[in-house]
Amino acid sequence: MRFIGIRLARGLLTLWFAVTVTFFLVRLLPGDPVLAVADPNMTEELRRKLLADFGLDQPLGVQYLNYLGQLLQGNLGMSFRQSVPVTTVLMERLPWTLILTISAMAVTIALGIPLGVLAATRAKGWMDRVIQLTGVTAQSLFVPSVGILLMYVLGVWLGWFPIGGAVDLDATGFAATLSMLHHLVLPCLSLVLIQLGGYVLTMRTTLIDALGEDYVSLAKAKGVKPGKVVWKHALRNALLPTTTIAGLQLGTLVGGAVLTETIYAYPGIGRAVYEAVGQLDFPVLQGAFVLLAAAVVVANLITDVAYGILDPRVRTS
Amino acid sequence: MTTVELTPRQRTWSAFRRNPLGMGSGALLVLLALVAIFAPLLAPFPEGYGADTSQPPSAAHWFGTDDIGQDVFAQVVWGTRVSMAVGLSASVLAIVIGLLIGVSAAYFRRLDTPLGVLVDLSLSLPVLPLMILVAALAGPSVRTLAVVIALFSWPEVARVVRSQALAIVPMPFVSAAKVVGGSSWWIVRKHLLPGVIPVVGVSVVLTTSRAVLAEAGLSFLGLGDPNSWSWGTILHKAQQSGSLASAWWTTLFPSAAILLLVLSTTLLSVAYNDARNHRSDT
Repeated sequence: MRFIGIRLARGLLTLWFAVTVTFFLVRLLPGDPVLAVADPNMTEELRRKLLADFGLDQPLGVQYLNYLGQLLQGNLGMSFRQSVPVTTVLMERLPWTLILTISAMAVTIALGIPLGVLAATRAKGWMDRVIQLTGVTAQSLFVPSVGILLMYVLGVWLGWFPIGGAVDLDATGFAATLSMLHHLVLPCLSLVLIQLGGYVLTMRTTLIDALGEDYVSLAKAKGVKPGKVVWKHALRNALLPTTTIAGLQLGTLVGGAVLTETIYAYPGIGRAVYEAVGQLDFPVLQGAFVLLAAAVVVANLITDVAYGILDPRVRTS
Repeated sequence: MTTVELTPRQRTWSAFRRNPLGMGSGALLVLLALVAIFAPLLAPFPEGYGADTSQPPSAAHWFGTDDIGQDVFAQVVWGTRVSMAVGLSASVLAIVIGLLIGVSAAYFRRLDTPLGVLVDLSLSLPVLPLMILVAALAGPSVRTLAVVIALFSWPEVARVVRSQALAIVPMPFVSAAKVVGGSSWWIVRKHLLPGVIPVVGVSVVLTTSRAVLAEAGLSFLGLGDPNSWSWGTILHKAQQSGSLASAWWTTLFPSAAILLLVLSTTLLSVAYNDARNHRSDT
């Protein structure tokens, strides 16, 4: 319980840091928020009124406390362009981003573990070389390039998958679910391709280390079958550092989702960010960052707790 | 003393030279740098409207043309300048900040905890959305991009530097330097930094490749400098004009350029690392 408490406190600290940093960045950087809302030719009187409406005429400290207070109530301010609360804009989009990122993560792990095992058990062989080189290459990929390539080959040329949107709006019931999965394939695959390299390479290194441990030699000496030694004995221990990588890669995953959603016009938070950039809608950009940071903090918390359950040593240290 | 100091460096170099992957990557980087420097000699700056719109690659337009008739080859050549310049300057800036913070955290015990917390917090946030927010607020320009990317890339460098510097601080020559009466700044400059820099070499290269990717990402989202070309900007224009799904040449060539630059920097760092490790084997 103490362990969970410490992690929870750290998560809250991170979140506070994220919120505070963005607040001061937004207030101190040159982009005048009022100029972004209205015509530069408006009268001084109208400008003052707008400043007052958005609470921008108060001292910075008061604005900061107001902002924190509003955040605690789930209020992220009003969108400059759409005249609706930012929370409404983003909450509509959040489920799509969650579906995309969670499915991408699940597929990455499902492919990454066997590939890592394959490379580690054949260390220095040609298969290992191929996997390693592909892994390094995959880490150098630019997300939109991958997305465009997949869209082109699998979507446009072969016509197997739709190239935009998240669901066929005419479909209902089971057909709607199928259509949703159909639309998910390409964006999900793009994210998997850029994430996979990191997982496989980490998995490979930690598994090679684990295979050199005494308990592996012991298991082999006892006559446990080679496959069982790898999958039951070594892999379980090699999975622990991989859990940490999953936590560290969350930031990359979120960034990748923003770019992928832009390519595929996938209606998640990332696409909202892209649209907000075009319209200079700062409250939406700020809200999206706070929400994504919160999502990363929560996911990290889950990873930490999972790690604690998998490895009792972490709980005491 | 000088011969002893030079030998490991020479050994690293000779090990590096034997690695075809490392040498190939190095040659490719030099080539890209030459393209960036001599861009004006290779192609005219792409601007305005051209007669041949959305043409596939041909003898006249090696990489084809975009929807308003601009030559994609010229865009990619000029894009090399901005992409490399932003990547390089952002990573130099990030490394200077990271070195200062990492070394101070290792040397000044009191600073270690607050700086460590700062680095941990920064590393656990999703960086791209934060860069987007700041770049949008600061207004798009080449300088904004470089500063914004550097501002959110130094924590990684600081972490590597700190762990390396922590191993040097307890060494006898550091205590000796203190006994002699050296100032903290002098000790940091003369004793800590030289020990940290070989390890930072790898980090420099990786930071540069990440910075190139970050620049491409921000420009792709529409936060690039409107008055200059970068590889991300070319992709952004293709996305906006709707030619993503029709004119493959508008996206393939800038994508290939990004891949070549990032991959060769990554492979270069791998080769450098391998070459350096040989030193400890012999």
